[in-house]
Amino acid sequence: MISALVLLMAVFVISVATGYVSLSPTQLGRTIIGQGTTKENLILYGFRLPRILVTILAGMGLAVSGAILQSITRNPLSDPGILGINAGAGLMVVFYVMFFTAESTIFLYVLPLFALLGGIVAAAFIYIMSFEKGEGVDPTRLVLIGVGMAAALYGAILTLSTRLEREQYDFFANWMSGRIWGDDWTFVLALLPWILILLPIVFTKSNVLNTLNMHEHVSVGLGVHVERERLVLIFIAAALASVSVSVSGGIAFVGLMAPHIARALVGPRHQGFLPVAAMLGAILLLAADTIGRIILDPSGIPAGVVVTIIGAPYFMYLMAKK
Amino acid sequence: MSRLFTENLRISYGDYDIVNNLNMDIPDGKITTIIGPNGCGKSTVLKTLSRILTAKSGSVYLDGKQISKESTKKIAQKMAILPQSPDAPEGLTVAELVSYGRFPYQKGMGTLQDKDREVMEWALRVTGISTFRDRAVDALSGGQRQRVWIAMALAQETEIILLDEPTTYLDLSHQLEVLELLQYLNETEKRTVVMVIHDLNHAARFADHMVAIKDGDIIKEGNAEEVMTSQVLRSVFSIDVEIGIDPRTKKPMCLTYDLINRDRAMEGTAI
Repeated sequence: MISALVLLMAVFVISVATGYVSLSPTQLGRTIIGQGTTKENLILYGFRLPRILVTILAGMGLAVSGAILQSITRNPLSDPGILGINAGAGLMVVFYVMFFTAESTIFLYVLPLFALLGGIVAAAFIYIMSFEKGEGVDPTRLVLIGVGMAAALYGAILTLSTRLEREQYDFFANWMSGRIWGDDWTFVLALLPWILILLPIVFTKSNVLNTLNMHEHVSVGLGVHVERERLVLIFIAAALASVSVSVSGGIAFVGLMAPHIARALVGPRHQGFLPVAAMLGAILLLAADTIGRIILDPSGIPAGVVVTIIGAPYFMYLMAKK
Repeated sequence: MSRLFTENLRISYGDYDIVNNLNMDIPDGKITTIIGPNGCGKSTVLKTLSRILTAKSGSVYLDGKQISKESTKKIAQKMAILPQSPDAPEGLTVAELVSYGRFPYQKGMGTLQDKDREVMEWALRVTGISTFRDRAVDALSGGQRQRVWIAMALAQETEIILLDEPTTYLDLSHQLEVLELLQYLNETEKRTVVMVIHDLNHAARFADHMVAIKDGDIIKEGNAEEVMTSQVLRSVFSIDVEIGIDPRTKKPMCLTYDLINRDRAMEGTAI
C-alpha cells in the first residue's frame, strides 16, 4: 500500500515534468510549498494539477468498479467496460453532447448524472436479463449478456455519432478513444464528491464482498442478504464507472487490470485488496495519460488508447490462463 | 420438540414438485444422515433447511420460529451450511477463509476482534489445519480443503451444522477423516450434524439417526438398524441388498447388492 503510494507520487512528478507546459521536480517542489513564480503556479494549479486529479479520481473509480464487478460475478474478466456499463454511460454522454454544448460550465455538473443514468440503466438491464427465477443471478450469464450489451450500445453510439456536427463529432471521437478531456477544476469538483462518497461505502462493505466472492450458497449460509447486497453493489459499481468515464472518456481495461494486479499482490481479501486496487487504478491511468503525452507531444495519444494497448494483451493472457 | 424441524414442506422447481408434504424432525445433538437415490430431493431438502431454497408452502422451524421470517444473520449464528464442493477465491489463505466464518458476528469493515481470533484458532486446531494456515486454499488437496471449509463452518459457532455430501470426490482415508472429525465434534461439542451422504455404509456407521428419502417422501427414518434393512433399501434404491454386521463397528452394512429390475434401471440411467 505504501509502495503504491510512493509509486503514485513518482508518476505524479514525472507527469508534471513532461509535456508541453512542464515543471521540473525542483520547480514542482518549490511551487507546492508556495514558493513558485506566478508562471509556475499557473502551470501547476491552472493546467496540470486539475487534469492529474481528474485522472487519479477516474482511475480509482474505474478500478474499484471493476473490483466490485469481478468479486460479485466471481469472474476475473468482468470490468465496467466489458459489461457495457461504460457504453451505457457513453450513450448518455453522446446525447448530452447533442443537446448541450460541451463548453457550458453549469451543465458540466449535470454530465456525471447523465452518464450515471446511462450506466445504471445498462447495469439494471444486464442484471434483470441474467436473473433467473429461484436461482438468482448467474455470474457467467451476467458476463455474456454484458458483452452483448456493450456491443449493442457501442453500435447505437456509432449510429448516433453520424448525426453529430463536425465539432461535436471531434469531441465524441476524443471521448470514445478515452482522451481525458476534463482538465480544469470544474471537472475535479464534478467528480470528487462521487468518489469521496462511494469509495468509503465500498470499503465498509469489504466484509460483504468477501462473502459474495464465494458460491452463493456459502454466502447465504453465512447470513448475507445476497440479492440485496449484490444489487446495492452493482449499483455502486455502475455509478463509479459512469461518473468516471463521463469526464475521462471511454476507458476500458483499467477496471480489469488494476483489481487483478492488486489481487495478485495482496490476495483476494477485500479489506486489503480494495485500497490497493484503487491506488493501482490511479497509477495506471495517470501513467497511461503521461506516456500518451510523452509519445505524441503536444496533442498526445489518448490515455484510453495507451491503456488498451497494454490492456488487450493482458486480457488475452487472462483468457488463455483460464 | 427438536430445535430444527419442517412442517408440511412443499418444494418445487418451477411447476415441478420435488417435495410434496414433508414433516421432518432433526434430533438435537445427534448425527443425522439423509440417504436416497439421485434426484430424490435429499439435497433439495437440505438446501431448504438451510434457507438456500425457499419452500413453496409449509415452513422450516428453528427454535420455534419460521426461518423465512427470521434475520438471516441471526440464523447464521445458530446454523452453518457447507454446500457441496465449494470453491474458494484464488489465492485466499486458509486463515482468511476461516475468518469469513465470523461474518454473522461482525459489523462494518469486519475487523477481527479477540473473540473472533480465539474461535478461529480453535476451529483451525480442531480440524488439524493450523500448520497450513497461510497456504492458499486452492493449492491444498481435496481432503485438506474440505477440512478448511468445515473449519469455516465451525468458526460460525453454530450448534447445528448441515453438510451436503461432504465426502464426495475424496479418497477413502480422507472420507473417514472428515466423517470422524464430524463425529468428534458431535461427541465432544454436542453439535447437531445433518448430512446428505451417498455411501450407505458410511451413512449407517456414523448416524445416530437415518432418513431414507425417495421422490421427496420419507420412506423410513430411525436408527441405522431400522433403516439399513433390505426391505427399506429395496423400496428406496430398487436394489436387492445383502445386509451384514460390520465386525468392527457392529453397525449394519451393505455387503453386496444387485439391481432388482435391470430394464427399469437402464431406463433410469437414460433419463
